Amino acid sequence: MKIETTDPVSHPELIFYRRCTIDLKTGKQTMEDVPCQNLEDVLGGFGRSFQMLAKREIKRAYCRENPLIINTGLLTGSSAMTGLRTYFSSYSPIKGSKAGLPAAMWSAGSGKFGAKFKWTGLDELILENCAEKPLYILIRETPGGPQVELKAADHLLGLSTHNKIMTLYQEYPDAHFAAIGPAGEHWETVFMGSVALSTVNQLKSGDDKLRFAGRGGMGSMMGYKNIVALVAQSKDKNIPITAPVKEVHTQVIQGGGSARLQPIKRGGGGGTWAAYEVMQPFHAVPVNNYRPQGNDLPEKLFRENVEKEYDIESAACYRCGITCHNYIYDRNDDGSRGDFIAKFDYEPLNLMGTNIGIHDAGQAGRLIHLCDNFGVDAISMGVTISYLLSYNERHPEHPLFNGATFGDYEKIHELISMAGEGKLPGVGKGSMRLSQLMGETDYAYHIKGLEIAAYQPETNPGYCWAIAGGHMSMGSYGTLIREGLSDVDSWVKVITEDKLHIVGFDLIGLCKFFDITQGIGTDKIATILKSDFNLDVDPLKIKAAVRRSFLLGMALEFRQGYTKEEFSLPAEVANNPNPNIDLPNVSSPEFMTELSEKVWAVFDKELEDVL
Amino acid sequence: MQITVSLHGVIRIDRFKLKTLTYPDGSRVQKVIDDLQIPATLLGTILINKAHAKSTDILHDGDTLMILPLLEGG
Repeated sequence: MKIETTDPVSHPELIFYRRCTIDLKTGKQTMEDVPCQNLEDVLGGFGRSFQMLAKREIKRAYCRENPLIINTGLLTGSSAMTGLRTYFSSYSPIKGSKAGLPAAMWSAGSGKFGAKFKWTGLDELILENCAEKPLYILIRETPGGPQVELKAADHLLGLSTHNKIMTLYQEYPDAHFAAIGPAGEHWETVFMGSVALSTVNQLKSGDDKLRFAGRGGMGSMMGYKNIVALVAQSKDKNIPITAPVKEVHTQVIQGGGSARLQPIKRGGGGGTWAAYEVMQPFHAVPVNNYRPQGNDLPEKLFRENVEKEYDIESAACYRCGITCHNYIYDRNDDGSRGDFIAKFDYEPLNLMGTNIGIHDAGQAGRLIHLCDNFGVDAISMGVTISYLLSYNERHPEHPLFNGATFGDYEKIHELISMAGEGKLPGVGKGSMRLSQLMGETDYAYHIKGLEIAAYQPETNPGYCWAIAGGHMSMGSYGTLIREGLSDVDSWVKVITEDKLHIVGFDLIGLCKFFDITQGIGTDKIATILKSDFNLDVDPLKIKAAVRRSFLLGMALEFRQGYTKEEFSLPAEVANNPNPNIDLPNVSSPEFMTELSEKVWAVFDKELEDVL
Repeated sequence: MQITVSLHGVIRIDRFKLKTLTYPDGSRVQKVIDDLQIPATLLGTILINKAHAKSTDILHDGDTLMILPLLEGG
């Protein structure tokens, strides 16, 4: 990256992202310093990639004109805590309109790949066309700038995400990696392939402690292009942390949202897993395809119960003080720590656990582990499986596939394995397509074609206006439980003003836990930009850039054939209201009609001039 | 007055799950929070008789006060 101004708002054209574009069919590479067009271009991530995708008319995800854009944010690899994000953007194979057109999507992941990628001197890699043979891409730091090479990858085919990475690690011990699994390799029948990103914990321990850019099938897109892995080889750049940035980090750790994600032994809330215990008093933990039963079943996966049988370890990403996630291990008979099972985050835990009738932490962990190693999005897989199980519950005489039912661990394991190997397109292509095939779409818990997160839709009407993953692109999922807001006007403000700002983190390269309640339009971010890059930016301008990026995402949805009717909650919510959820009703047809009218009254005006 | 206090999640650690406590009439929720030394960084949702409430709300005899940590997802 080159920065030749202190004013990125007035002079974005004086900030340059170093981009390599590869035509995978011919092998031709173009390395160039690309001037930014506006502040969202400067900030990076999907702020850049969606502007590029907007220039393409794409009717099918699996077409040669659909690029895969791999990039970073301005703060990826910087001194900022959580500055680790890599972004993968394309028109998605899984998220699509009823008109049959694919939606523009991005997916974000942590681990150390993003920083290593940035430290090669490259900011952005665009993959055009498809390679004729399986390849991996090596990006190297050299004295003359970043070098990009295409390498044969036949020896990696069929390997799990973890084994691909560990194989490459043998050859490149000073690199970090992004890899697809068998699921992405079987892109024709798996639309939910993820991209695995290596971590320091993984490479040191040899355990499959991966991170993922999971949502939207970006791993399937990589597989379609015949790219099975990326290697970023560079020296670590430990940028000195200045006093102002240190102060910002102290604020991040001690105040605001991230304090609650800290380990319990540090006085924190113990990670995202704690969501179980907050939602259960309201019977709002998803159970058996999003049908909470008003009982204590979810408590089996409360931390205090899991710890009776399993070992739990808190863990942090590289150079991050938030330490938000947990690993689960078996416990040996002598009480010592046994084998690593999986990383425990709330979403995969619920969607591979309670929501499919699995109430044993070890079993849930093993299903998560399976998804991770096949390289499949645990959210989309979990929700598609839960649809299938609910179908089989309604149709015991004519069940789908192996007849799996809620809680049937062995059969669920078989379903995931077969889908991950590309042998079960009914599952691999996601819940929207499966439900359309079966003619029972009410019970499919997707919105606009992408499976929702592990929050009951009854608690989150904001899901309808998320432009990417339901909880990564609209931060309204905790609002009802946290604040009890039950009037339409409050929800209009939540959706159109407050909670869309969560997407800002997916421009700039930071994890959302940096400041989940405030977004990136803050003095904290302005301080880091000044300290690391000598950039003077008004936080309000940053906020405006985030909003423009969000609106572009929404405008692209309409261009790809979505109608306003598709901005709606799963039909079962209205057609068969669940009496067990003990919260104000913010999802009735009447509420949603009034909410939609008022939300569109705000967005319609702004969308007019976007594309 | 007597109130029932129900604590959830990590807020229970070194405290309790459910207890009946005695407070002077007119006591506010904040008094309970202070007495239990619940750190502000952990404090999330407050419910009185299952309705969302604030720390400044006044408690009444027979109320059930629920205190939950903040909901953060991911």
